[in-house]
Amino acid sequence: MNVKGGYFFRILEVDLTKGTSEVRPFDEEFALKYIGGRGFGARILADHMKRKKKVDPLGPDNILIIAPGPLTGVYLPASGKNSFITVSPATGIYGDSSIGGVFGVELRQAGYDAVVLKGRARVLSALSIQDDRVKLIPMPHAAGATALEGEHLVREATGDEDMKIACIGPAGENAVVFSCVNTDWSRNAGRIGIGAVMGSKNLKAIAVRGSKDLPVYDLPGLMEVSSEGYALLKSHKFFKFWQDQGLMSVVDYANKMGILPTRNFQETVYDKADRMNGYTMEDRYKIGDSACFGCSMSCGNVCLVKEGKYRGTVTEGPEYESAAMLGSNLGTSNFAYILKANALCDELGVDTISTGSIVGAVIEGLERGFLTAQDLDGVDIGWGDEDAIIELINKIALRKGVGDTLAGGARAIIRRWPEMARVINHVKGLEQSAYDARGAISMALGYGTSDIGAHHTRALTVFNELETGNNLEYEDKINFLIYHQTVRPLFDMLGVCRLPWIELGFPEEYYQRFYRAITGVDLSMDDLFARSSHIYDLTRAINVSLGISRKDDYPAQRSFEDPVPSGPTAGKVIDRGEYEKILGMYYEKRGWDEDGKPELKI
Amino acid sequence: MHLTVIPERCSGCKVCELACSVGREKVNNPKKSRMRVMVLYPHPVIRMPIVCKQCGVPKCGEGCPTNAIYKKNGVVQLDKEKCISCNQCLTGCPFGAMFLHEDIEHPFKCDLCDGDPLCVAACPKEALKFHPKHILGQAHRLSAARSYAKMSKVEYMDDGQKKTLKYAKITKGGRDER
Repeated sequence: MNVKGGYFFRILEVDLTKGTSEVRPFDEEFALKYIGGRGFGARILADHMKRKKKVDPLGPDNILIIAPGPLTGVYLPASGKNSFITVSPATGIYGDSSIGGVFGVELRQAGYDAVVLKGRARVLSALSIQDDRVKLIPMPHAAGATALEGEHLVREATGDEDMKIACIGPAGENAVVFSCVNTDWSRNAGRIGIGAVMGSKNLKAIAVRGSKDLPVYDLPGLMEVSSEGYALLKSHKFFKFWQDQGLMSVVDYANKMGILPTRNFQETVYDKADRMNGYTMEDRYKIGDSACFGCSMSCGNVCLVKEGKYRGTVTEGPEYESAAMLGSNLGTSNFAYILKANALCDELGVDTISTGSIVGAVIEGLERGFLTAQDLDGVDIGWGDEDAIIELINKIALRKGVGDTLAGGARAIIRRWPEMARVINHVKGLEQSAYDARGAISMALGYGTSDIGAHHTRALTVFNELETGNNLEYEDKINFLIYHQTVRPLFDMLGVCRLPWIELGFPEEYYQRFYRAITGVDLSMDDLFARSSHIYDLTRAINVSLGISRKDDYPAQRSFEDPVPSGPTAGKVIDRGEYEKILGMYYEKRGWDEDGKPELKI
Repeated sequence: MHLTVIPERCSGCKVCELACSVGREKVNNPKKSRMRVMVLYPHPVIRMPIVCKQCGVPKCGEGCPTNAIYKKNGVVQLDKEKCISCNQCLTGCPFGAMFLHEDIEHPFKCDLCDGDPLCVAACPKEALKFHPKHILGQAHRLSAARSYAKMSKVEYMDDGQKKTLKYAKITKGGRDER
């Protein structure tokens, strides 16, 4: 099979220690097998781990891979995606996080299919990539700058206002294990601590500008499929509604289904959810729409607080996860505060999901006596104590006082206060996303078996199971879960967003047609799924080589111990015996052994 | 006809840049499009496509040493035969609506696609409009009339829904009360 487009066949390798870079080619076989994005990242990381066996995630031996996909930046719906892949400081195993926006597009236009960063710069620096010109710019004066200030300083240093910049905040510099990389104001590669990995490499920012044509094999053919695709999206009955509310529309839906995290997942229905939902946002705070590259759906909402204590707070967001984890999960529905907390997390560079989860666990820990005010530097903090929450977020990012422990994430917290294991919702060290799983065992299994920890992007089966499937057989649930775990990685490999598919029912067959027009390679949907399935096995194999096995594949402790107290999922809890049963069936279906080990080795 | 930009509606998605570069240059390269979407944050917050306004007095042409810039049928054009690529026009245009690219010999600009701009058709937010000139200013005129301070109103029920009708009251004898 000949690959006729879609790739530059160039991977940029930057040695930050030496301050040098080189371009490494790859062959067609590599392109065909791993496709791009997360696929490239997983393969490159697997090769690295084969040589190193074990790395300190925050040491110079770890590598960070930045990879858009062959569809990134091409004229088709929602093509602005880019993945960051590394060994996570939160979990110690394989990790990735993706962003939308335009950063990945710019990277491709600079002529690279991936960038691999290794080593550690001598002083805090920015990596500037302008097509073939790659250089490290010392930026010691950017130390401690927020992500946005940092971005501004990098623009000054490069003299190019149009560069696309990925920048970390102080949290990344301070090795907060759930720190993120910020691009385009509010688009963050949020999870698993990419920011800390960059910080550990003394890399404050990556600035990119590219001018090259993207390689598209059959542009007229692509345009035919694309125009059809854009028209199909536009014709969806919720298209306009989605442009208006974006992911904020999920607040009402999650609340109705009884899975909205409320007071650290103690409850799953929030009586004040209507004060923090999409309509509240639209009516009182939204001042503009925001979209990622090439996307007609404009999920992003630019919001401004026009009155009260938080007046003047402006940010792009929140989206559902941030609103739920910083709002209802912390016992408050004050949307102005949610905006403030969200903007603060973005500026400091911490993940809103993990931050909301950890602060929630701290408040519940205090209530239950697992922690005392003394542990928290004398501050007693309760549900909805907005000032104390904001102060705590600052302390985490700056590692001040108790923030120094909290910045270590779920594992560090449990190491210091073992009882906290009871209230901190995590899998493999990554805090759980904003969808309660007790009413849907496939979702619990999805969190449990996700390669990066309790994150929803691998599988979001909860709505489906609650709406249709409580009488489904386990086999059907597992099939649906594996389908999610197969199709979702494919989006990350191709370098496109999954939201047209999951939210507006955009048929997955389109991606096969896009891929064919761009690369000239005719793969069936099953061929593509086989490749993403292989990546799932590969990241599992990386994790197995780092000690992961069946013992790590369980959802948060709460899922087994505390039945949901009220609402549509009242009384639901995951039964341990049933979970063991479905986990075993899942391994079998995947072709992994009883301990969760795939045949595939790295 | 006039290409109008409505920044309040723009989401910054750059589909217009894609439509322009694919349609006109036959390449997938937003950097070769004849427009550029500017996205500024957090102060001020604005997303705005920058595109040629086809000025009545084209400032881009004023500094042109070879008179390569001329206006025909309401469109500011660049004569590639005359152009010496000195790039004076880039600094001349007060909007930055002239562009350069390493692969392209001369500066380039929007020519309204022969009267059917591809960007307008592609914009998913209706932030770009191609209007006859007399439409310009209509929105402001309408909004000025609608928000006239002295309007009176009546509330009424229509199919179970409360509605409001606004009207400007005619005063007795047609006297001006102001």
